[in-house]
Amino acid sequence: MSNMTVDRLRAAIGKIAVQMAISADELNTADGKLGDGDIGITMNTGMKGLAGIADDLPDDDLGMAFLACAKEFTRVSGSSYGTLLATGLMSAAKALKGKRKAEWSEVSSLIGGAIEAMMKRGKGALGDKTVLDMLEAMRIATEGLDDSAEILKACDKAASETMENFRAKPSKLGRARMYGDKSIGLDDPGMLALRRVIDGLV
Amino acid sequence: MKKILNSPAKFVDEMLDGLCAAHPEYYDQPEPRVIARPGGAVKGKVGIVTGGGSGHLPVFTGYVGKGLLDACAIGGVFASPSAEQMAGAMRAANGGAGVLRLYGNYGGDVMNFDMAGEMVEMEDDIESTTVLLSDDVASAGPEEAEKRRGVAGMVYAFKIAGAKADQMADLAEVTRVAQKAADACRSIGMALSPCTVPEAGKPTFEIGEDEMEMGMGIHGEPGIWRDKLKPADEITGEMVERLLADMPLGKGDRISLMVNSLGATPPEELYIMYGKAKQLIEATGAEIIMPLIGRYATSMEMAGATMTMCKLDDELEALLKAPAECAFWQV
Repeated sequence: MSNMTVDRLRAAIGKIAVQMAISADELNTADGKLGDGDIGITMNTGMKGLAGIADDLPDDDLGMAFLACAKEFTRVSGSSYGTLLATGLMSAAKALKGKRKAEWSEVSSLIGGAIEAMMKRGKGALGDKTVLDMLEAMRIATEGLDDSAEILKACDKAASETMENFRAKPSKLGRARMYGDKSIGLDDPGMLALRRVIDGLV
Repeated sequence: MKKILNSPAKFVDEMLDGLCAAHPEYYDQPEPRVIARPGGAVKGKVGIVTGGGSGHLPVFTGYVGKGLLDACAIGGVFASPSAEQMAGAMRAANGGAGVLRLYGNYGGDVMNFDMAGEMVEMEDDIESTTVLLSDDVASAGPEEAEKRRGVAGMVYAFKIAGAKADQMADLAEVTRVAQKAADACRSIGMALSPCTVPEAGKPTFEIGEDEMEMGMGIHGEPGIWRDKLKPADEITGEMVERLLADMPLGKGDRISLMVNSLGATPPEELYIMYGKAKQLIEATGAEIIMPLIGRYATSMEMAGATMTMCKLDDELEALLKAPAECAFWQV
């Protein structure tokens, strides 16, 4: 069975970067309805940055590779969403420090660790209609899975379901919260961004 | 916009270049947007770093100096520095005894500085702590004091923590004293006119020619009320009253009082305010030592003033009076 390695991380970065270039305008438009309209720029410049350093990631340490990704993402994309995603990457970096490879069965707990760190940093809670809700659905869906294809399938399904479940709810965090009931019926831009990340991997 | 600049995009970097060119004995720029003391970190001394947006000189950068800060990460005008720049400042300040992050309570700064702390812990094995300034009583009520913004009170915290670090105290001690200083400060501001962020090109808010706003934040955050401009004694009286409501003073108490210009307000007006404030504070039985009157924390060319009380005990007073120097302040 395959493992999670820096090479697999490189391949994922390449795919996500391609998808973000395609989805940037769509994400900016979605964000413009509830925020400052730059989440597409954040994701696109962030992933371009990661693609730029992918070749230089250290093969012998997944943790340091994730750390390099977190740093690059914050460096090139100054927004709070960028910092939050980088926080999630940093949490994975700490968990994987010193490891050349990891089991796919660790994905669920890595997502769990990322959620915890992101909640602490962004002061968000589950149910606020943010990317955290989607990550939580993915954490649950990937529990006990140890095959990368199955994990991806589970994340894809969890992403779709979360979008559906939350569309009719109001946003409770960040700038979107100010829109109150006007956010009902709209997709959360942060969730949509993660949805497109998964699209890039599928 | 009427400003002396070459281009809004170069405003901050040209300002920093000029600052370092003018005062090479105090400031060095080891990497873009990181200001540190020349000669590098002092070995074995706890490093103190701060960070925040440009546009507040002498805050934040100006207080890098002996007996004060070791390094500072500086962002665009009123914008947070990046986590990477903050990590750079922490590395520059690291003398092997740990680093204290001492800065104002603003969401973006907190996220980035926490991130920076994790980066240097993982990569460079630097131990660090955080103390946040949240001294602006107008920004949230006492029941939500942890949501308050940090304003001019941070100057006291820089000074006091800096003096403690200079005594070669360990990280826990420097952090304790910094927190004690932060807890001892209360501030309030009032504004007469706005300022213009170069890259925005227009004023941060609009206010009538004959109006003032009580409680306004240093980036133009809304205050408590806006009305016709009142006489200096009335303005001062309300500011002192609001500070005392939050931190009552009585016989035997000692404070330092800062009357600070937000940029455009001249010292003449500050001294008019100070005279009245001293009367009112002494009426409580408290004593003022080491008054600070001038430009300590500004908001570009905003007209207005802030008033900060820092309540002192023997420990804080001795640290406040310890020698320190930077280009903007000498004790």
